[in-house]
Amino acid sequence: MGQKTAAGRVKSPPRFFHLFALWLRQHPEFGAFAGTVIVFIGFSFTATRFLTADSMASILTVAAELGIVSAGITFLMISGEFDLSVGSVLGVAAMIFAMTSKAGWPHLAGWVLALLASAGIGLLNGIIVTRTRIPSFITTLGAMMFWRGILLAVTGGFPISYFPREMPLMFFALNGRFAGQFRTSALWFLGIMLLLNLVLVRTRYGNAVYATGGNREAARVLGVATDKVKLINFVISAVLAGLAGCIQFSRFLSVDPMRGLGLELEAIAAAVIGGTLLTGGAGNLIGTLFGVLLVGMVRSGLVQAGAPAYWYQAFVGLIVVVAVIVNTNLRRWALK
Amino acid sequence: MSGREPLVRMVNISKSFGTVQALKDVDFEVGYQEVMGLVGDNGAGKSTLIKILTGVFPPDTGEIYFEGRRVDIRSPKEARDLGIETVYQDLALIPLMSISRNFFLGREPVVRMGPLRFLDKRRMDLTVREVLSEIGIKVRSPDEPVAVLSGGERQSVAIGRAVHFGAKLLILDEPTSALSVRETHKVLDYILEAKERGLSIIFITHNIYHVYSVADRFTILEHGHKVAEFRKDEVSAEEIIEIIRSGYREPEE
Repeated sequence: MGQKTAAGRVKSPPRFFHLFALWLRQHPEFGAFAGTVIVFIGFSFTATRFLTADSMASILTVAAELGIVSAGITFLMISGEFDLSVGSVLGVAAMIFAMTSKAGWPHLAGWVLALLASAGIGLLNGIIVTRTRIPSFITTLGAMMFWRGILLAVTGGFPISYFPREMPLMFFALNGRFAGQFRTSALWFLGIMLLLNLVLVRTRYGNAVYATGGNREAARVLGVATDKVKLINFVISAVLAGLAGCIQFSRFLSVDPMRGLGLELEAIAAAVIGGTLLTGGAGNLIGTLFGVLLVGMVRSGLVQAGAPAYWYQAFVGLIVVVAVIVNTNLRRWALK
Repeated sequence: MSGREPLVRMVNISKSFGTVQALKDVDFEVGYQEVMGLVGDNGAGKSTLIKILTGVFPPDTGEIYFEGRRVDIRSPKEARDLGIETVYQDLALIPLMSISRNFFLGREPVVRMGPLRFLDKRRMDLTVREVLSEIGIKVRSPDEPVAVLSGGERQSVAIGRAVHFGAKLLILDEPTSALSVRETHKVLDYILEAKERGLSIIFITHNIYHVYSVADRFTILEHGHKVAEFRKDEVSAEEIIEIIRSGYREPEE
């Protein structure tokens, strides 16, 4: 009996690791969460004003606009496709919102038109990918260049500004200030994250999304309408990019035709940091939430720590690679 | 048993892809509670025949009768609705997804909250626990990814799923081809258990010895033709292998 207890005590550390591994199997977001905590602590010491409400608000402002785009990308990536055109879609939507506002349209109508146009672009992407079976990387690379080109051609390369005498209600709803420096965009961001995660984890559609990305052929023979899932996710991705465009326009009140350039890669980076697999079938929005917060913290934290803003890209690049290495190893270890 | 219409009867099935004749006037039937071994070399037409039966693509000519009724099976879902479940070799389960999500994929139970419908996670987990313990697989939780299961366990879970959802006909595509000897025996046992429960089974394989131990009858295909059909008491495993090896000859009456 005494022997048994002794053996039990010896075995307890591996048992802890075992339980942790089991937990980790269902929580790919752990790596991003740990990274967020580490970077947060790091900046708390190096950046003097990091721990203030204003600083948190500015992180959230950056994270919200990126995060809304990244949420859609995550959904689409889990179902096994890419969307490189989100940056251009964001620009197109912002431009439509700006032009209609300037033309005196009701703001709600302009906003709806911008989202409908985004949905249209997403639908087109989806139709091309599912009908022709061309990789979405190529299809949306083409879409990215095409819509950016249209944007430049229509505007002649000039920015469009719209300065109303007082802040319209629609603009406040999209990106107004409240409680000091906080913005309503953060509420959109958190709401969308929670809603999409609920769909992903708790509904039949979410199950179909995972299955489609996990193994398209297997999902198909088990009766999942994989093409429909992909089509819907392309639309979700584009509409959210469009929404982010309108939100961003509400903040700057001005949009130039290069708006959103490079954003697609940042959005994908945030999803990947959060544990979403490039090959599809795994990931969740909690991970993306942390991925986006991490990117947002780096952007404003570096500036506050006194580093030139140029370092931002390098830092994010570093984080992406480190995050994927850590995530991959954690996954491998957890499955052993 | 004779005189009664079999569970599945496929009559005069032909199918070509471009200039390739994949199947030519094939008749095929499976009785109630019968294990039918469908054997033949690569390219014999086994999987084409099965894909026609499961609605992946339609035959060029020919008819299918299920439980005595003429049926048109236009999609895998329609086949499933009839009670035809297929377990494909590599496509049985999706490794990255949890066991319980896999088990219910496409048929998830839901609870309604107003207009919204959410997965009935409790019922899903409860059912999966029951089925797993019936099969004799020990996992900590139904939320574990399928990736932690062995190949044999995956096949067994997929078969258990078909039984659970009340399949009448279970089609197994090379269920033992990637398994160890011990795992193969487990899966073969489980196939017999499914038969005991009243299912009919089509067992497609290259490995005659595996199928021979569980099948009641055999259908041998070769280059898109049916070359022979035997009851188990009419033929030995070695004779079946010999027929496959010697290749197709024009049928002589």
